[in-house]
Amino acid sequence: MPSTQPLRRTTTEGETQTGDAVQTQKPWNVIVWNDPVTPMTVVVVIFRKIFGYSNNKCTQLMLAVHNEGRALVWSGNRERAESYCVKLQVAGLQCTIEQDN
Amino acid sequence: MAGSKLFTRRRDGRVEVRMNDYARDIVRSAFSNVLAAERDPEHEWHVALSGPIDPSLDQDDPLSMLTRENETSTNAELAGLSVDEQFLNDTEAWAWLTTLQVALRSTAQSKGLLTDEQLAATSAEVLTYVQTLQHFLFDLAACF
Repeated sequence: MPSTQPLRRTTTEGETQTGDAVQTQKPWNVIVWNDPVTPMTVVVVIFRKIFGYSNNKCTQLMLAVHNEGRALVWSGNRERAESYCVKLQVAGLQCTIEQDN
Repeated sequence: MAGSKLFTRRRDGRVEVRMNDYARDIVRSAFSNVLAAERDPEHEWHVALSGPIDPSLDQDDPLSMLTRENETSTNAELAGLSVDEQFLNDTEAWAWLTTLQVALRSTAQSKGLLTDEQLAATSAEVLTYVQTLQHFLFDLAACF
Protein backbone atom coordinates (compact mmCIF):
# COMPACT_ATOMS: atom_id res chain seq x y z
CA MET A 1 0.00 0.00 0.00
CA PRO A 2 1.58 3.31 -0.99
CA SER A 3 2.44 5.58 1.89
CA THR A 4 1.72 9.29 1.91
CA GLN A 5 3.87 9.81 5.00
CA PRO A 6 6.89 11.29 3.14
CA LEU A 7 4.69 14.15 1.98
CA ARG A 8 4.26 15.40 5.48
CA ARG A 9 6.53 18.27 6.32
CA THR A 10 8.64 18.07 9.43
CA THR A 11 8.52 21.81 9.91
CA THR A 12 5.90 24.45 9.27
CA GLU A 13 6.37 27.95 8.00
CA GLY A 14 3.98 29.54 10.45
CA GLU A 15 5.42 29.84 13.91
CA THR A 16 4.19 32.29 16.53
CA GLN A 17 5.95 33.35 19.70
CA THR A 18 3.78 33.27 22.83
CA GLY A 19 5.68 34.36 25.92
CA ASP A 20 8.74 32.16 26.24
CA ALA A 21 7.27 29.24 24.32
CA VAL A 22 7.31 28.83 20.55
CA GLN A 23 3.94 27.61 19.33
CA THR A 24 4.06 25.74 16.02
CA GLN A 25 0.92 25.78 13.89
CA LYS A 26 -0.33 22.41 12.72
CA PRO A 27 0.00 21.97 8.95
CA TRP A 28 -2.97 21.91 6.62
CA ASN A 29 -3.45 18.81 4.47
CA VAL A 30 -4.79 18.73 0.93
CA ILE A 31 -6.96 15.61 0.55
CA VAL A 32 -8.09 14.14 -2.78
CA TRP A 33 -11.12 11.84 -2.65
CA ASN A 34 -11.88 8.83 -4.81
CA ASP A 35 -14.76 8.72 -7.27
CA PRO A 36 -15.91 5.88 -9.54
CA VAL A 37 -15.62 7.68 -12.88
CA THR A 38 -12.34 9.58 -13.17
CA PRO A 39 -9.76 7.68 -15.29
CA MET A 40 -6.57 6.87 -13.37
CA THR A 41 -4.33 8.40 -16.04
CA VAL A 42 -6.19 11.71 -15.74
CA VAL A 43 -5.49 11.85 -12.00
CA VAL A 44 -1.77 11.23 -12.63
CA VAL A 45 -1.63 13.97 -15.29
CA ILE A 46 -3.38 16.47 -13.01
CA PHE A 47 -1.06 15.74 -10.05
CA ARG A 48 2.00 16.09 -12.31
CA LYS A 49 0.79 19.36 -13.80
CA ILE A 50 -0.26 21.00 -10.54
CA PHE A 51 2.43 19.78 -8.12
CA GLY A 52 5.29 18.97 -10.52
CA TYR A 53 5.81 15.62 -8.80
CA SER A 54 7.55 12.75 -10.61
CA ASN A 55 5.45 10.31 -12.59
CA ASN A 56 6.22 7.61 -10.02
CA LYS A 57 5.07 9.73 -7.10
CA CYS A 58 1.90 10.80 -8.95
CA THR A 59 1.08 7.16 -9.69
CA GLN A 60 1.59 6.22 -6.02
CA LEU A 61 -0.72 9.02 -4.91
CA MET A 62 -3.34 8.08 -7.51
CA LEU A 63 -3.26 4.46 -6.28
CA ALA A 64 -3.61 5.64 -2.69
CA VAL A 65 -6.74 7.60 -3.68
CA HIS A 66 -8.10 4.58 -5.55
CA ASN A 67 -7.35 1.97 -2.89
CA GLU A 68 -7.95 3.93 0.31
CA GLY A 69 -10.68 6.28 -0.83
CA ARG A 70 -8.62 9.38 -0.13
CA ALA A 71 -5.00 10.50 -0.13
CA LEU A 72 -3.00 13.31 1.38
CA VAL A 73 -1.32 14.95 -1.61
CA TRP A 74 0.24 18.04 -0.05
CA SER A 75 0.79 19.46 3.42
CA GLY A 76 1.87 22.91 4.57
CA ASN A 77 0.50 26.34 5.34
CA ARG A 78 -3.18 27.10 4.99
CA GLU A 79 -2.97 29.62 2.15
CA ARG A 80 -1.03 27.30 -0.16
CA ALA A 81 -3.19 24.32 0.81
CA GLU A 82 -6.29 26.30 -0.13
CA SER A 83 -4.68 27.40 -3.40
CA TYR A 84 -3.75 23.82 -4.34
CA CYS A 85 -7.24 22.62 -3.40
CA VAL A 86 -8.82 25.22 -5.70
CA LYS A 87 -6.50 24.20 -8.57
CA LEU A 88 -7.41 20.52 -8.09
CA GLN A 89 -11.13 21.35 -7.99
CA VAL A 90 -10.82 23.46 -11.14
CA ALA A 91 -9.16 20.43 -12.75
CA GLY A 92 -12.22 18.37 -11.82
CA LEU A 93 -11.00 16.34 -8.84
CA GLN A 94 -12.87 16.08 -5.56
CA CYS A 95 -10.63 17.76 -3.03
CA THR A 96 -10.79 19.34 0.43
CA ILE A 97 -8.39 20.70 3.02
CA GLU A 98 -8.17 19.82 6.71
CA GLN A 99 -5.82 20.72 9.54
CA ASP A 100 -3.47 17.98 10.70
CA ASN A 101 -4.56 16.25 13.90
CA MET B 1 -14.43 6.52 -32.92
CA ALA B 2 -13.06 3.22 -31.73
CA GLY B 3 -9.80 1.87 -33.04
CA SER B 4 -7.79 5.05 -33.45
CA LYS B 5 -6.63 7.68 -31.01
CA LEU B 6 -8.77 10.79 -30.83
CA PHE B 7 -5.83 12.95 -29.70
CA THR B 8 -2.18 12.68 -30.67
CA ARG B 9 0.82 14.81 -29.71
CA ARG B 10 2.63 16.01 -32.85
CA ARG B 11 6.34 16.67 -33.18
CA ASP B 12 5.72 20.41 -33.22
CA GLY B 13 4.18 20.12 -29.74
CA ARG B 14 0.58 20.67 -30.73
CA VAL B 15 -2.18 18.18 -29.96
CA GLU B 16 -4.04 16.96 -33.02
CA VAL B 17 -7.78 16.37 -32.59
CA ARG B 18 -9.10 13.49 -34.71
CA MET B 19 -12.78 13.67 -33.87
CA ASN B 20 -15.73 13.39 -36.19
CA ASP B 21 -18.62 15.84 -36.06
CA TYR B 22 -20.62 13.63 -33.71
CA ALA B 23 -17.81 13.46 -31.15
CA ARG B 24 -17.21 17.19 -31.41
CA ASP B 25 -20.88 17.83 -30.73
CA ILE B 26 -20.64 15.79 -27.52
CA VAL B 27 -17.56 17.75 -26.47
CA ARG B 28 -19.16 21.07 -27.41
CA SER B 29 -22.21 20.24 -25.32
CA ALA B 30 -20.05 19.27 -22.33
CA PHE B 31 -18.10 22.55 -22.54
CA SER B 32 -21.22 24.71 -22.77
CA ASN B 33 -22.87 22.82 -19.91
CA VAL B 34 -19.89 23.47 -17.62
CA LEU B 35 -20.00 27.16 -18.49
CA ALA B 36 -23.76 27.31 -17.94
CA ALA B 37 -23.53 25.40 -14.65
CA GLU B 38 -20.92 27.80 -13.31
CA ARG B 39 -23.27 30.75 -13.93
CA ASP B 40 -26.63 29.16 -13.15
CA PRO B 41 -27.31 27.99 -9.56
CA GLU B 42 -30.33 26.03 -10.87
CA HIS B 43 -28.23 23.95 -13.29
CA GLU B 44 -28.04 20.27 -12.26
CA TRP B 45 -24.22 20.39 -12.40
CA HIS B 46 -23.91 23.54 -10.26
CA VAL B 47 -23.66 21.68 -6.94
CA ALA B 48 -20.72 19.65 -8.25
CA LEU B 49 -18.91 22.88 -9.15
CA SER B 50 -19.36 24.45 -5.74
CA GLY B 51 -18.16 21.72 -3.38
CA PRO B 52 -16.57 22.76 -0.09
CA ILE B 53 -12.87 23.59 0.18
CA ASP B 54 -12.79 23.32 3.98
CA PRO B 55 -15.77 21.22 5.13
CA SER B 56 -15.21 22.25 8.77
CA LEU B 57 -16.37 25.79 7.95
CA ASP B 58 -19.92 26.96 7.29
CA GLN B 59 -18.67 28.93 4.30
CA ASP B 60 -15.39 28.94 2.40
CA ASP B 61 -13.22 31.99 1.84
CA PRO B 62 -15.07 34.11 -0.79
CA LEU B 63 -11.79 34.91 -2.57
CA SER B 64 -11.02 31.19 -3.05
CA MET B 65 -14.56 30.58 -4.28
CA LEU B 66 -14.24 33.44 -6.76
CA THR B 67 -10.86 32.14 -7.96
CA ARG B 68 -12.35 28.68 -8.54
CA GLU B 69 -15.35 30.13 -10.38
CA ASN B 70 -13.16 32.34 -12.60
CA GLU B 71 -10.66 29.59 -13.46
CA THR B 72 -13.35 27.02 -14.22
CA SER B 73 -15.17 29.50 -16.47
CA THR B 74 -11.95 30.56 -18.20
CA ASN B 75 -11.07 26.93 -18.99
CA ALA B 76 -14.59 26.21 -20.26
CA GLU B 77 -14.59 29.36 -22.40
CA LEU B 78 -11.18 28.57 -23.91
CA ALA B 79 -12.24 24.97 -24.55
CA GLY B 80 -15.44 26.19 -26.19
CA LEU B 81 -13.58 28.67 -28.39
CA SER B 82 -11.22 25.96 -29.65
CA VAL B 83 -13.79 23.18 -30.02
CA ASP B 84 -13.65 23.20 -33.83
CA GLU B 85 -9.85 23.40 -34.07
CA GLN B 86 -7.86 20.54 -35.56
CA PHE B 87 -4.74 21.41 -33.54
CA LEU B 88 -4.57 22.55 -29.90
CA ASN B 89 -1.72 24.29 -28.10
CA ASP B 90 -0.84 23.23 -24.55
CA THR B 91 -3.12 25.77 -22.88
CA GLU B 92 -6.08 24.75 -25.03
CA ALA B 93 -5.41 21.03 -24.50
CA TRP B 94 -5.27 21.58 -20.72
CA ALA B 95 -8.54 23.53 -20.91
CA TRP B 96 -10.14 20.62 -22.79
CA LEU B 97 -8.85 18.07 -20.26
CA THR B 98 -9.99 19.97 -17.17
CA THR B 99 -13.37 20.94 -18.61
CA LEU B 100 -14.11 17.40 -19.80
CA GLN B 101 -13.09 16.10 -16.37
CA VAL B 102 -15.36 18.65 -14.66
CA ALA B 103 -18.19 17.55 -16.98
CA LEU B 104 -17.56 13.89 -16.17
CA ARG B 105 -17.51 14.34 -12.42
CA SER B 106 -20.49 16.73 -12.50
CA THR B 107 -22.46 14.13 -14.44
CA ALA B 108 -21.54 11.46 -11.92
CA GLN B 109 -22.45 13.65 -8.96
CA SER B 110 -25.74 14.90 -10.43
CA LYS B 111 -26.78 11.31 -11.28
CA GLY B 112 -25.80 10.02 -7.84
CA LEU B 113 -22.94 7.88 -9.16
CA LEU B 114 -20.74 7.97 -6.08
CA THR B 115 -19.78 4.28 -5.89
CA ASP B 116 -18.88 1.52 -8.34
CA GLU B 117 -22.19 -0.19 -7.51
CA GLN B 118 -24.22 2.92 -8.34
CA LEU B 119 -22.30 3.31 -11.59
CA ALA B 120 -23.01 -0.32 -12.53
CA ALA B 121 -26.74 0.15 -11.79
CA THR B 122 -27.23 3.36 -13.78
CA SER B 123 -29.19 3.58 -17.03
CA ALA B 124 -27.58 2.55 -20.32
CA GLU B 125 -27.89 6.12 -21.59
CA VAL B 126 -26.01 7.66 -18.67
CA LEU B 127 -23.43 4.88 -18.67
CA THR B 128 -22.76 5.41 -22.38
CA TYR B 129 -22.28 9.15 -21.83
CA VAL B 130 -19.91 8.53 -18.90
CA GLN B 131 -17.90 5.99 -20.91
CA THR B 132 -17.71 8.35 -23.88
CA LEU B 133 -16.26 11.16 -21.74
CA GLN B 134 -13.88 8.66 -20.12
CA HIS B 135 -12.70 7.59 -23.60
CA PHE B 136 -12.04 11.22 -24.60
CA LEU B 137 -10.18 11.88 -21.35
CA PHE B 138 -8.13 8.70 -21.56
CA ASP B 139 -6.86 9.58 -25.04
CA LEU B 140 -6.26 13.24 -24.20
CA ALA B 141 -4.40 12.44 -20.95
CA ALA B 142 -1.95 10.32 -22.98
CA CYS B 143 -0.79 13.54 -24.71
CA PHE B 144 0.49 15.08 -21.45
